[in-house]
Amino acid sequence: MSAAGTLPPDEKRLAVGAPIQDTRGDKIALACIYTALGFFCLAVLYPIIYVLSASVSNTKKVSAGEVWLWPVGFTVDAYKAIFDYDAIVSSFGNSVYYAVVGAVVATVLTLLAAYPLSRKGLPGKGIIMAAFVFTMMFSGGLIPTYLVVDQLGLLNTRWAMILPTALAVWNVIITRTYFMVTIPEELVEAGKVDGCSDFGFFWRIVLPLSKPIIAVNLLFYAVGQWNSFFNALIYLTNEHLFPLQVVLRQILIQTKVDPSQMPDTSKLAQLKELQQQLKYSLIVIGMIPPLLVYPFVQKHFVKGAMIGSLKG
Amino acid sequence: MPNNAARSTGISRRSLIAGALGLTAATAGGGLLSGCSGSSNASGAGGGGAAPAPPSVTLGPKLEGVLYPDGYIGPVARELKPITSEKVTFKIVVKQDVTIGDWKTNAFTKWLEQKTNIHIEWNQVGGTDDDVMTKVNAMIAAGDIPDAFMGIEFTRSQLYLYGQQGLFTDVNQFIDGYALNLQQAMKDYPDARKLVQAPDKKIYSFPSINDCYHCRASNGRTFLNTDWIKQVGLDVPKTTDEFREVLRAFKKADLGGNGRTIPFCGYKDAPFDTYFMNSFLYNPGDPWLVVNDGKVDVNFNKDEWREGLKYIHGLYAEGLINKDVFTADQDQMDRYGNAPGKPIIGGARSYYWGGFLDIDQKDPEARWRKYLAVPPVKGPNNVQYAAWNYLGVGVEVAKLVITKKCAKPELLVQWADAQMELEAILRGYGGPKFAWAKKGELGINGKQAVYGFSATWNTEKNISWSQDNAMYRSQDFRLAERVNPKDLTFESPLYQQTVDNYFPYKQPQEMQFPPVTLDQDQAAQEAELKTNLTSEVNLSFSKFVTGQLDPNDDAAWNDYKDRVEKIGVKPYLELEQAAYETYNA
Repeated sequence: MSAAGTLPPDEKRLAVGAPIQDTRGDKIALACIYTALGFFCLAVLYPIIYVLSASVSNTKKVSAGEVWLWPVGFTVDAYKAIFDYDAIVSSFGNSVYYAVVGAVVATVLTLLAAYPLSRKGLPGKGIIMAAFVFTMMFSGGLIPTYLVVDQLGLLNTRWAMILPTALAVWNVIITRTYFMVTIPEELVEAGKVDGCSDFGFFWRIVLPLSKPIIAVNLLFYAVGQWNSFFNALIYLTNEHLFPLQVVLRQILIQTKVDPSQMPDTSKLAQLKELQQQLKYSLIVIGMIPPLLVYPFVQKHFVKGAMIGSLKG
Repeated sequence: MPNNAARSTGISRRSLIAGALGLTAATAGGGLLSGCSGSSNASGAGGGGAAPAPPSVTLGPKLEGVLYPDGYIGPVARELKPITSEKVTFKIVVKQDVTIGDWKTNAFTKWLEQKTNIHIEWNQVGGTDDDVMTKVNAMIAAGDIPDAFMGIEFTRSQLYLYGQQGLFTDVNQFIDGYALNLQQAMKDYPDARKLVQAPDKKIYSFPSINDCYHCRASNGRTFLNTDWIKQVGLDVPKTTDEFREVLRAFKKADLGGNGRTIPFCGYKDAPFDTYFMNSFLYNPGDPWLVVNDGKVDVNFNKDEWREGLKYIHGLYAEGLINKDVFTADQDQMDRYGNAPGKPIIGGARSYYWGGFLDIDQKDPEARWRKYLAVPPVKGPNNVQYAAWNYLGVGVEVAKLVITKKCAKPELLVQWADAQMELEAILRGYGGPKFAWAKKGELGINGKQAVYGFSATWNTEKNISWSQDNAMYRSQDFRLAERVNPKDLTFESPLYQQTVDNYFPYKQPQEMQFPPVTLDQDQAAQEAELKTNLTSEVNLSFSKFVTGQLDPNDDAAWNDYKDRVEKIGVKPYLELEQAAYETYNA
C-alpha cells in the first residue's frame, strides 16, 4: 500500500480501514451460510471418504457393516486383485486413451467450428448454426447411425469411440459465445490492417487468448469420454478395446439374481464375492483420473464456462 | 451423454419390441447381408434351407476308468473326435465376462479347438445383460450378423420371431443326424422337446440341460436360525401360527442383544410372497400365473391372497420383520447377516445362504450352517405348498443360436454337441482341474461320485466358459460331484434340505404355468400388460404389508381388485390361455 503513505493521516486511517462491525443480521446470515455449506460439503465428502475407506478395508468387515468412516482391517488386497483381471487393467488403459485422444480431436473440431461461427462476416452463418442446433434435437436413431459407422469401416476400431459424436453442439455454442465476447471485431480489423490472414489471426491471436475455453472443452470432452459406455457397447466387439466403464457395468451393475435365470448358486456366490472384493477399489480407480485433472483445469474452468455461458 | 443414456434405457427396457422394429430395418437393408462370413468354404448357400446330409456321425469310444453310480442318467465321458479334417472357422458373438477371462486364450477354448478342429473367431459384447441385448438387437437390425450367438439370453418369443423371419436356423433338422449327445439327453428328459420347440414345431436354438435340483424350490426357500429355535425352547414351526410364535419368541428373548434382534429378514431381490402365500394358496410368484383344470388364472386377486396379506401384515405390524424389507439390497442384507459378534437375524427369505450372509465353506462352525431351510408352513385352511418349478428350470433355450449367415450349420451343431460330452462339460464350466472320482468317494447325493474339482471357484481365471455354452448337466450328473470332507460346499446341504423340506410339499405339476412362446403381436401386448400388472401387484403387496393399505379394510381390498382389473387381467389371461393351449397342442 505505497499509495496510502502519501495520504493525510485522517484519510490514511480510513484507507487502511477499521474493521467494519458486522451487524447482528449479517452474523446470523453468515452463520447460516457456513452451516449450510458445511452440510453440503459433508454430503459430498462423506461418500468419497467412505468409498476410499471401504476400498482399503477388509472385505468381511465392510460387508458386516463395521466400516462407516475410517478403514477397518487395513489391506490393499482389493487393489492387488484388480491386477488379476486383465480385462480391468487393459480397459483402464483404453479409457485413458479414449479420454485423451477423444478430448483433443473433439476440442480441435469444436474450435474450428466455433470460431468462424463467431465472426460477423461469415455468409450462411444462420443456416449452418441452425443445422448444428437441429442435430441437438433430432438424431438419426440407433440403427441408422450403426449402419453409417459400419459402412465407414469404423466398427470395432478405436475410431468408433472417438469420431462418432465427437463434436458436442453445446460446446460449440459456448465456445462461439466466448469468442464473440472476448475477441472483438476491432481486433480482427486491427490484425487485418497489419496484414494478418484469417488463419494467421486464428493461430496467433485467437488461440493464445482462448486458453480458458480450450481448457474447458478439453475437460468436458475428456470427462464425457471417461464416463461414456454406450458407444463402446454398440460399436465394439473386441474386449481388448473396451473402456473401463463397460467392464465396471458388467461387474457392478449386473445384479440379476433371478434364480430361474441363473440356476447355479456357485456362479451366484462367485459373482457376489467378486463384487464384494472389487466394488470399492473399482470405484476409486474410476474416480481417480478426473480427480487428478480437475485441480489443474479448475481455475480456467470457472472463468471459461462463465464467459461462455453469457449468451449461450 | 444424455442422448445416449435415453437411447440405451429406452431400448433395453423394451428390447423385445425394439428387436421386432429392428428386424423390419434389417429386412429393408437386406442388401447388406452379403453372402456368408467367408470363414467356411461353402458356396455361400444359406444354411437354413440346406438339406441335412445323411447321418454319418458316430460317438467316440467311452473313456476307461470313469465310475458311474447305479442307475446313472446323464452325460458319459467319451473320446472326442475331430469334427473336420481341415480347420474351419466360425464367428460367434459372446458376452464379455471377467470371470471367464479372455475368450481367445481361455483354457477351454484351446482344448475344444484342439479336439474338434473348429476355430472360433470371438466377438465380445460388454456390459450388463440388458446392454448385451441392446447391442445384439442393433447388430441384427443392421444386418451385421455372426455365424452364431452363444450365451446371449434370447427369450423363447424372440427366438420364434427371428426364427420365423428366417434369421435363425432350425436345428431340429440336424439333431437326428449330427447331435447324438443331445438326442440321448432328450430321451432322458422327455419334456425337453416340448420346452424347446417353437409353436411351429421348429427348434431355433441348440438347447442346454441343467437340471438343478435345488433351483426348483428356490422361490420358496426360507431360512431360520436353528440355534435360536433351540434356545427359545421351540421346534421348527409347522403352521403359520407356530411360525409367528417362533418369531415372537426371538424378539422377546432378544438373542441378538441390545434390542438389535431382527426376528425375520427380507430384501428386495428375493420376493417375499413366494414363501408365506403358499400357506394360503399355490403361489409360484411373479407373474403369479396358475393353471386350474386347464384354465389359466392369476392368484393375486383371490380371497386367499388377502388372508395371506393379513397374516404378513400382522408379522410386520408386530415388528417381527425388518422395516426395510422391500428396499434393503444385498449389501444391507449382508450387514444384517454378517453382524459382528452374535448373529442378529433369526431368519431370512433368500434363495440360498449367500443372499443374507457370507458363506465360509472351510469352517464347520460357520454361521451360515446354523440357518436351516425350513419347510413351508401349514395355513389356517391346511394349505401347504412349496412352489416347485417343474418346467422353468432344467431345460434352457438360446445357449447357442445359429444364424442364417452360417454356411455349415451342421458343423456348429456337432461342435455344440461335443460340449455335451462329460469331460467337455467339466472343463467347460469348471476348468481343467477336475479328477475322476475313485471308488468309494461319495457325491452330493451320497452315491458313488463321478468327478471332483481340486480347486474351488474363483482361484484361477481364464480356465472355463463359466456357464455360457450348451451343456448336458442332468440331475445325476450334478449330484455326482465328489464332496470334499475338508471343503464342505453349500451344495450338499442345499440339496439335502431341498429333498427333505420342499420336495414333499410340491404342488401337482398340472398347476404350474409352463414357459410359453408368444408370437410377435402377443409378445408386444403381453410385455405391456405384464409390466403394468407386476408393478401394481408388487406395489400394493408392499403397501398392504407395511400397513399403508389395510388388508382388513374391504374398501382398500376392493379398490386393489378394481385397479388390477382395469390394468387388464382379462386380456392378459386370454393371451396366456391361448399361448398355453399352443404349448400343449
